Formats: sequence, structure tokens, C-alpha cells
Amino acid sequence: MFLKKYLQDIYYAVKSLLIGMRRTGYYFTHHKEIITQQYPDNKDSLSLPERFRGEVVMIHDENNEHACTGCTACELACPNATIKIITQIDTTPEGKKKKALNTFVYHLDLCTFCNLCIVACPTDAIKMANTFEHSVFDRSKLTKILNKPDSKIRAGIE
Amino acid sequence: MSATSIIFYFLATFILAAAILSVTTRKIFRSAIWLLFSLIGIAGLYFWLAVEFIAAVQIVVYVGGIVVLIIFSIFLTQQSGKEMPKVSSSRILLSALAIFFGFALTYLLIYQNGFRIENKYFDSDIERIGTHMLATDNTGFALPFEVVSILLLAAMVGCIVIAMKSKPIEK
Amino acid sequence: MPSLENIADIIHTWLNITFNSTTALLIELVIVAVSAIGLFSMLGLILIMMERKVSAYMQVRLGPNRVGPKGMFQTVADTLKLMVKEGMTPNGADKFLFNLAPFIVMIVAMVILAPLAFAKNFQLWDLNIGILFVASVSSVSVIGILMAGWASNNKYSLLGAMRSGAQIVSYELSAGLSIITIVILTGSLKISTIIQSQSDGWWIFKGHIPALIAFVIFIIAVTAETNRAPFDLAEAESELTAGFHTEYSGMKFALFFLAEYVNIFIVCVLGATLFLGGWMPLHFGTDTRFNELMDYIPSSLWLFGKTFFLIFIIMWFRWTFPRLRIDQLLNLEWKYLLPISMFNLLLTTLMAIMGWHF
Repeated sequence: MFLKKYLQDIYYAVKSLLIGMRRTGYYFTHHKEIITQQYPDNKDSLSLPERFRGEVVMIHDENNEHACTGCTACELACPNATIKIITQIDTTPEGKKKKALNTFVYHLDLCTFCNLCIVACPTDAIKMANTFEHSVFDRSKLTKILNKPDSKIRAGIE
Repeated sequence: MSATSIIFYFLATFILAAAILSVTTRKIFRSAIWLLFSLIGIAGLYFWLAVEFIAAVQIVVYVGGIVVLIIFSIFLTQQSGKEMPKVSSSRILLSALAIFFGFALTYLLIYQNGFRIENKYFDSDIERIGTHMLATDNTGFALPFEVVSILLLAAMVGCIVIAMKSKPIEK
Repeated sequence: MPSLENIADIIHTWLNITFNSTTALLIELVIVAVSAIGLFSMLGLILIMMERKVSAYMQVRLGPNRVGPKGMFQTVADTLKLMVKEGMTPNGADKFLFNLAPFIVMIVAMVILAPLAFAKNFQLWDLNIGILFVASVSSVSVIGILMAGWASNNKYSLLGAMRSGAQIVSYELSAGLSIITIVILTGSLKISTIIQSQSDGWWIFKGHIPALIAFVIFIIAVTAETNRAPFDLAEAESELTAGFHTEYSGMKFALFFLAEYVNIFIVCVLGATLFLGGWMPLHFGTDTRFNELMDYIPSSLWLFGKTFFLIFIIMWFRWTFPRLRIDQLLNLEWKYLLPISMFNLLLTTLMAIMGWHF
């Protein structure tokens, strides 16, 4: 019936609009819900969410060992050539030759924080860090070397 | 000269100047805007005469209705942003003649008859206007009011018929 | 106790003693003009601040909080910025109309201010047809928008102006019909009479369901008439950059911006006058103790309180609802609001004839 549908339309329209207004009204009266961080003022107590993507870092444990095998999966996954991996050929004590990481070069200025390299990494050697204050006076400072000096691969990681 | 006459002459000059500009300008949109100012001036004249109802209706109907429609039709016309061609001299001559004769006729009428000033109280009370408009006795205007309503209704139905899309016949 | 009425009286008597009546009248006109401009600029500052804070809290943000205490002087800073900015006129524009348009919009807003009553016996021009005057003059402001859109010589401006024109012309109908609902109940177009008729209860209470429906339709229609979201197709940022004021900058843009807020204020004063009793305090029937208590609150506070309540509702709409499409907009008006308000008008007439309201 036409009239019934017409009135039904009005009823549902008003109802759905009121639901929306109730939500915004709730936020308007509950100031605790505000998620804005007053950044420079609360620098000390600033807590960023776990999944915030600030920059790529390599995980090192207390023995200065990382898990990167130098497989270049991250370099291949990167859409804009942010990562450059320089490898070297190590000789193991048994006399076998093995590819290993020499330098993990990371261009922060090219990175879009897309997370693809972290997904691609087969050994979970890299992760996204929470830091975000990246501004420097010289662009060359944004080219970072992620593996710490004298670090080596953790034993047992192939 | 009293303040009332100063206001009257000011309004009259405004109306005439806007009207002249409206017919002499060569941009069609400006012409519509000058017409608008002329009509607003006439509404101001009604306010000056203290017939507020007529003034408000003048603004609603002419300014808010007709001029907006004119402007809309200008918007929807092609090449309406360009300047119009210059008017030929014969046309100017003819329109000058028309203005002259029209003015002469008006002047003659006023000169022969003059304005009669009557100190009668002019009743512009909105309630009585409304009652008169819908009264059915001898002084009422119910019949003309209804006739005009039917005319407008016919116009509206006509608009809808023209604007309606005819459904394609299903086979 | 100083009220706006007393202050006006004192100034009036003092001027008439000091000068002759013509000079006093001229000085009064100047005072009125200056205070109107002052009211407008204050409204601009307060309402823009209010809008930004309301929008911030509704979107779980903080809003402006740097300039002054709690960011209260942000709009002052913005106004200063707009004042020192260059007001450019594009090359291809119709320069005369381009520069005229913001002033038309502003002057219309000022003229509408005349018949509004701001406090008890505090009104510029209590003319016979107050409400009709407001309704008629407000229809002129669309001309300013159309003028701005055309004179900018820009496709976005023209499209925005066209949309705005279609929108204002169609929503004027249902706004007018809901105003007429109250006029039927009151039996007068005069604003002072309309307010006086609500001395024993506001129309929204006295008029039962028809007045409530008329109120809702009025609020929707004036939101559309002032070109605010969810009816802001005329300046839909994502489609038309800024609609009819795309090409405006500096103070001329500020005038358009100010006119938007002043128009909101004016329609909310109108809504408060028609449905919520204007400056009339909240009175209930014959409960004299309660009525006297309410009378202690100054009448101007009552009016501004009601007005800001309505403004808040309109802002609430803006920050909750998504923008309508143009066909949805016209559907809403011609298929829903107009038939409902016409039916409502019949219902009100029946109610007024039978005397069913209080």
C-alpha cells in the first residue's frame, strides 16, 4: 500500500537520523572519549599505539645478534626502492660458503611505511618502530644502516 | 524640503536610474540585476507609502520569484555571458519615439486631470485585506480569488504535463 | 535592574533632550546601524568558535586550543588574517557584480534584523507584517548568491549558485508553510502579537502535534535555506571546491562566511519567536509562583538562550548527517516535506477552528 510505505519511509528515516544524532550527542557530552594527543605538551607521557608505523628497525637481541639472512625478500617487496641490502659471502668453519648480510641500507626519506617489507621477511628480522620525530637538517642523515656494527646472525637461522 | 520628499525623490531617482541602466546595458545578466534593483526600489516606494503588505508581496513575487526565474533562464541560455550586439540606430530612433509618445500621453493625462488629494484614511490592515479577499458578500473578492487560483492551477498542471516523461511503451 | 528596554529608553530621552527631534532620530539611526554591525561581528566570532568546538567534540577531537585560553581567540586571529589578506578579483569576472554580491548578501541579513524582537519592548520596527517581511526579504539573499556565482566566471561557482538557487527556492515553500501554521494559531503576522500570544505557554506546547510537526519541518527547511550541511550542495567541498564563493578571498570571502552565520542566527531567532515564545519566559498555565520565578530571568537572556539552543541543534545536524545528493534533496522537499506541511496546515486550521489548542 502506498500510504503505508510512505509513512514507513518517514518513520525509518527519522529513526535512523535519531540514532546518528544520539551517537554524536554521546561524543559531545563525553569528553573522555577524545583521542586527540596534545603532542608537544605531553611529550613525556605520549603513548603511541602498538601498530603505529614510524620507521623500519632491525631487531637485535642482547648478544648483538639479528635474524637477517640477507635474502633480499624485503628489498624485492619494497615498492619504491627504500631498502638496499649489501651481502657478503662468508665461509663457515666447515668450509661451506654462505651468503650473509653485510649492510642493511634503509632510505627513510623514500619510505611510505607500507609494511610490505615486514610482511615479506621470512625470519621476522625487521619490524616497524614507534618513533616518529624524524626531522633532520640534512637529507643524508635519513639514509640509515639498520644492522648494528659487529652484529652477526643468530645461530640456527637459515 | 521635508525628509519624506527627500526620500521620495531619492527612491524615484533610484528606480528610474536602475530602469534606464537595465535597458541600456549590453550584458544580459547585468540587465536582470538592474531590473531587480528597480523592483526593489518600487517595493521601497510602497514602504514609503506605508502599505507594507503590498511591498512585501512585491518583494516575494517580483524579486524572489520572477527575477530569480529570469536569472535561471539566463544561466541556462547558451552564450549568455557575451555582450549583446549594438542596437541599430533605427531601433534607437523608434524606441525614442515610443518613449516620447508614451511620456506625452501620461503627461497629457496628468496635466488635464491632475492628482486629487483626498485626506481619506487608507486602510492597509493585513487582517482586513485577508477578510476582504475571502469574503463572499458584495464587498468580497472570493470569486476573483478563486478564478485566479484555478488559472494558476491550470498553469501548474500544464507545466507538469509538459515536464512529464512519457514512459516508453512496453512490448 | 538594567534591561535592554531601559537602556534604549534612557538613550532616547537623553538624545531628545539634548538635540532636536530630527537630529536625535538621525543619531539613533546611526546608533542602530553601528550596533547591528557590532552584533554581526560578535555573532561571527562567537558562532564560528562555537561551530568549531561543537564539531570537534562531536568528532572526538579537541578543536582549536592554542590562541588564548582554551583557544577562545582563534576566530579573532582568523578575522585579523582575513582582514589583511588581499581581496582579489579574477580577470574574467564581471567586476562590478563580483564586488557587489557579498554586500547584497550582508545587507539582506541586516534588513531582516529590523522586525525581530530581542527583548521585552526592544524591537527596531514592529511592523504590521513582521513575519511576512522576514520571509519576503530573505528570498532576496538568493540573488546575491546567484550574482556571486555568475560574476565569478567559474564553472564551480556557477554550478554552486544554480544548486543553491534551486534549493532555496524550493525549501522556501515548506519554511513558509510552517510559518503560516503558527500565523493561523496566532491570527497575526505582527511579531509582538505573536510573542504576546505565547505568554501562557509556547506554541510548541500549546499547539500539540501540528506545531511540533511544523517545528521539525521549519528546522529542516531553514537548515536547507542557509545552505548548511546536510544540505550544503551549493558549496560541496568535494565536488565544487567551494561553490559560489570559490573565487572570493580576503574580506569579501569573510562577508560571505559571516553572512552564513548571521543567517543561521536570524532563522533561529525566528524559530525561537514562532515556536518557543521569543523573549517570553517559560510560563505554565496558572502556576503563578513558577511563572514569577521565571520572570526574574531577563527577557534578552531567554531569547538568546532559545536561539543558541536552536543553533546548537542545527550544528548537531551538520556534524552528524552526510550530504544529500541533488535528486535526494529535491525528493525530500517535493515528495515529503511539502505534502506533509500542507496536510499539517489543514490539521492546524481544523484545530484553530475547533479551538482544540490551549
